[in-house]
Formats: sequence, C-alpha cells, structure tokens
Amino acid sequence: MSAHRIALLTLAFLGTSCSQSDLGFSIPFAATWDGVPIDCGSSSPALTDLRFYVSDVQLIDSAGKARDIRFATEMPWQNDAVALIDLEDGTGACMNGTPEVTAEIIAVAPPRDYRGLRFTVGVPFRLNHLNPLTAKPPLDDSDMHWHWRSGYKFLRAGIRTENDGFWIHTGSAGCEGTVGNITGCRFPHRVQVDLPDFEPGHSSVTIDLAALLSGTNLDDNVASDCSSGPPETSCVAPFATLGIEFETGQQTGSQRVFSTQ
Amino acid sequence: MKRLSYLLAAAALVVCVILWMQRDAPWEWQLPGDIPPPSVPADNPMSKAKVELGRWLFYDTRLSGNQTMSCATCHIQALAFTDGKARSVGSTGVIHPRSSMSLVNVAYSSRLTWANPLLDRLEDQALTPLLGDNPVEMGLGGQEHRFGELLRSDANYSRLVREAFPRDEDPHSLLNGLRSISAFVRTILGYDSPYDRYLRGEAGALSESAERGMALFFSERLECFHCHGGFNFTDSTTHANSRVDRVGFHNTGLYNLDGEGAYPVDNTGLFDMTGEPRDMGRFRAPSLRNIAVTAPYMHDGSVLTLEGVVAHYERGGRLLEDGPFPGDGRLSPFKSEFVTGFELSDSEREDLIAFLQSLTDESLLTDERFSDPFQN
Repeated sequence: MSAHRIALLTLAFLGTSCSQSDLGFSIPFAATWDGVPIDCGSSSPALTDLRFYVSDVQLIDSAGKARDIRFATEMPWQNDAVALIDLEDGTGACMNGTPEVTAEIIAVAPPRDYRGLRFTVGVPFRLNHLNPLTAKPPLDDSDMHWHWRSGYKFLRAGIRTENDGFWIHTGSAGCEGTVGNITGCRFPHRVQVDLPDFEPGHSSVTIDLAALLSGTNLDDNVASDCSSGPPETSCVAPFATLGIEFETGQQTGSQRVFSTQ
Repeated sequence: MKRLSYLLAAAALVVCVILWMQRDAPWEWQLPGDIPPPSVPADNPMSKAKVELGRWLFYDTRLSGNQTMSCATCHIQALAFTDGKARSVGSTGVIHPRSSMSLVNVAYSSRLTWANPLLDRLEDQALTPLLGDNPVEMGLGGQEHRFGELLRSDANYSRLVREAFPRDEDPHSLLNGLRSISAFVRTILGYDSPYDRYLRGEAGALSESAERGMALFFSERLECFHCHGGFNFTDSTTHANSRVDRVGFHNTGLYNLDGEGAYPVDNTGLFDMTGEPRDMGRFRAPSLRNIAVTAPYMHDGSVLTLEGVVAHYERGGRLLEDGPFPGDGRLSPFKSEFVTGFELSDSEREDLIAFLQSLTDESLLTDERFSDPFQN
C-alpha cells in the first residue's frame, strides 16, 4: 500500500466522523478491452474517453444484507453522495480528456465480513438537475453536464480503432419541466451494478469496453455514437449490455459491463 | 477664490450624486407603448453596467476554446443576429445540425432554441453554445478557468465587473458572465419596422402590396398567424405581464422519410427531448420579424428563399423526390392541422412576400448599442 493510499484512507477515516471500529477502504476501478487493460495510448482500440458517476454504493455482508457505506468527502472527486471515476488522462486518443485520473472511491463502512458490492452508475434524481456552475464537486464538471437536456452525463465512454470508433454518453432523457424546475425524466438511464464477489481491501471493479460494445458494429467505417436520445437506435445495443431497455429507458436486466477482479 | 472652490466642490458633488443615482436607477426598457416589458429572472436584474459587460463578452473571441469564435460569429447584427448559413459551424469546424436562430426580441421567447421544452432562460441556454461538446460550438468546456482569468486580467473587464456585480463575493464567475451576456441579449429589441410604423398610424409606411399581403397573412385562408401570431409573430411568446406559459411546437411537413412521418435522425425536433412519438418533427415557430434578412430558412436551413417558404406552405408540406431524405411531408401523420395548403395567384404571392419584407427593422441592423465594441 502506497503512502498516498494510506494518507487517503486515514483522511477518510478521520473525515467521516465514524466510530472507531469503522473500516476505511478503497474501491479501485480499472478499464479493460476483452480483459486486457486499455488506456488512451493503447492501439486498436484506444480509449478515447471513460468517466462516470457512481452513487448509492452498498456493501453486501455474508448474510446477504446490504449495508450503506459513507464516502469520504475530502477528495474533490467525491462528495457524500456521488463519486466521479475518471479513467482517462487526456493523453493520446483522449483528445477532449483531462489530465486528472481518479480511479478509486474512498469510503468507510462498519466492519463486517463483506462479500459483495452494489452501486449505481448515475447521479440520483435529487442531485441530477442542479446548476453545474454552482454545484459542489464533483458535480461542477461541465464535461459531465448536459446543458441542453438538463442533468449530468452519467457515463461517457469511447474507443477508437484504426478506421472506426464509437462513443456513448448516458444520462437521463425525456425530462419534464424547465431547467431549474425539472419534475421528472421519462428515460432515467440509471444502471444498478451488483458484484457478488467483491471483498473490500482485496477486490477491484473492472469496466470492460468490449463488453459494452459487444453488439455494436465497429468495422463499418462509420464513427457513430449514442447520446441517449430517443431517436438514436445506435443506443439499442450498448444499452442492452448495461441492462437498459431502449424503449423505456429503464433497467430491466443485469448489466454485463462491470465485474470484480 | 475660496467661494469659487466651494462652488466647484458643490457642483462636483451634484454631478457625483446624479451619476450615482443613474447607476442605481431602475432599468428602463424604452419600448413602444403597445409592447409590454419582457420578463427578467429575479436573480439577474437588468443594469447598464451588466449590459455593457455583456456586450463586450458577446463579441469577445477569447470566450471560445481556440480563441476564434464569439457569440457574434453565429449571431451577426446585419443579419438580425443570425449567420446566413444553413447550419452553423462550431469553432473546431463541426457542423451543427441546426441553423442559428435570430436573437432579436429573444427576451420574449417563452422557450429557447428550435425544439427544447426545458430551456426558458438565456442564462441556462448560453451554457450549451459555450461549453457543449456534441457538437462543439464555442468549445470552452474544460477551460472555464480561463473565463475568470480573462475577467481579472483585462482592465476593461475588471472595471465593468466591479460596476456590474458590486456586492458579489465571486464577481468573476462564469455565472456572472452568462448573466451579463443574457442581460445584453435581452436589450436586442426591434419594433421599428415598416409594419410597426404602419400600426402606429404612419401614412405610407406599408406599400399597398404589403398591406394586401398583411390581409392574406392574417386570413383563415392562409392560417399563418396561428403559429406566427402576436407582437413577435410566434406563438412562443411571454412577457412580464403574461399569465400563461405559451409555447408551441409544430410539424410543418418538411420531411416524411418512411411514410410514417420520420425526420432525419439528427433533427427529430421535440421528439428528441420527449420521446413521445407524436412529437416527431415538431419545432418551435420562430419569430418572423426581420425574416427577409435571415435566410436560409427552417431549422436546418433547407429552404433557401422566402419564395421557397411560401411554396412549401402553399403545397401543405414539402415533396422531396430525391436526395438523402426523400418523402412527401404533406402526407405526414404528425403535420400541424394549420398546414393544409392554399392557392395563391402570382400577385397574391408577391403581396405576401412584400408583407414579410415589411417586418424588417433596418435601424436595428446597424444600431450602435448592439454593435461590436471592439470595432468602435
């Protein structure tokens, strides 16, 4: 464990006013393509973007009971409700990225024998329609905000092959009301992830982009995309890998993109 | 000598008090008597300093990611704050799916942009052209810190910011920049067209042909005014005294790709925002003020001339026999009930176009208050 990591965990421990027995831990995230690590400098495919919001995180104990965890709030990439995972570093093919990488969530939980992890890819509705110019980190990142749809981009991911590419932005669509007074969204597009074999302190979470794009044609020489709008049939296949039904925007199945390592 | 000094001091004091009172005086819109004041968000009251700051920012290319583009690049005063292109081009060369909309009288627009039911404040709308990345317009996203640096480092801006936001803890914020630009844009008002002068009783303001065209425009035979009605010639109009939220989106039968009313996938209008099948191809009726100088027309600039626009409505929908989007819009199941078609004689058609041309406020197109301060 690096000194940096120990410092962060100590901060988490001190900062969340937990009881002395609480367990400070990290949830590390990594990106792969078919099980092989992928980054902005990889070749065929290269990562072009990978950032997502994580919320509603719970650990599952050995009795199968879900326990809420608390995010440390000293880090700019997470507040008490939402963390921004950023697995691109702005180099190579990540033309519109940022140098900052935040590959873990720092949290505390009561000490138990935990066997699983549950989280949501997305921002809860009560926080999703804030003004990004006045919202607190990590909800102040304009790259992660959809000004014209109102709300945040829950996930932005993209890859580039030699003569093709694909990117996807998910986030709630079909919202009603007006900006500042959004009353609901017809297509929530939030994804709950259940990882039954996660042990805090030992396990990490992998997002596999080959799984995300398994039903998407990456050899048609068309740099296509999905930005989660109702007309975009290019979203059908990647949504399916996330367990989202395109027609309703609801999660109706299990996702196949995130796994435990 | 001493007395003179006292007098001078007293005079200076009077001047200071007058200037101070002007600075804090309530904003005056200077509108013709029959035009109600626009509504202004409670958290962004109008002020002279804010409008001046906004005018500089509106014309400042340093607000774009690569320093090449300002708001005015796509909103050119001489073209009633449109850009003359079918589809606007962003700072990095990306072509936008839609055409730049006029900003004239946009203070009265109950919704902004072509088909967004969520956007009713300029302060919120401005985020998209400034920061949006799909498509990139001004492309400042990820470089917002540069905005605050600009306001702090530029002497003109730091003076204007102090005047515009004297009691603000963080006066150099992007939020304040957007407030200022919005305040400036709300002042771009034009009600001095030949049609306005005719309404005010000025003899000869409208030609006889335009007067006949006006009768046609407001007739049940042509139905134009149902969507393009009211003092701004659009049904999406609100003002400070409005009691209802009026907003209209209409399918005018421009496309029918599949015989079931489909529009091109990047321009499905309100459907893209709501996912309601009946919203396919519904776009907001734009104001017809200054329409003669805002060609090409429609949300995607696909109609080049006013004659083409009139022909489209005469037919009751557009027939595209070839090209990438063939189909007969007249047969679209989603078409507005007011787009049913009509027949015009050649002289009637000329009259109608003469009326549309009478909606241009020429003075607005050169009014110094709205011009580029960097050029003056």
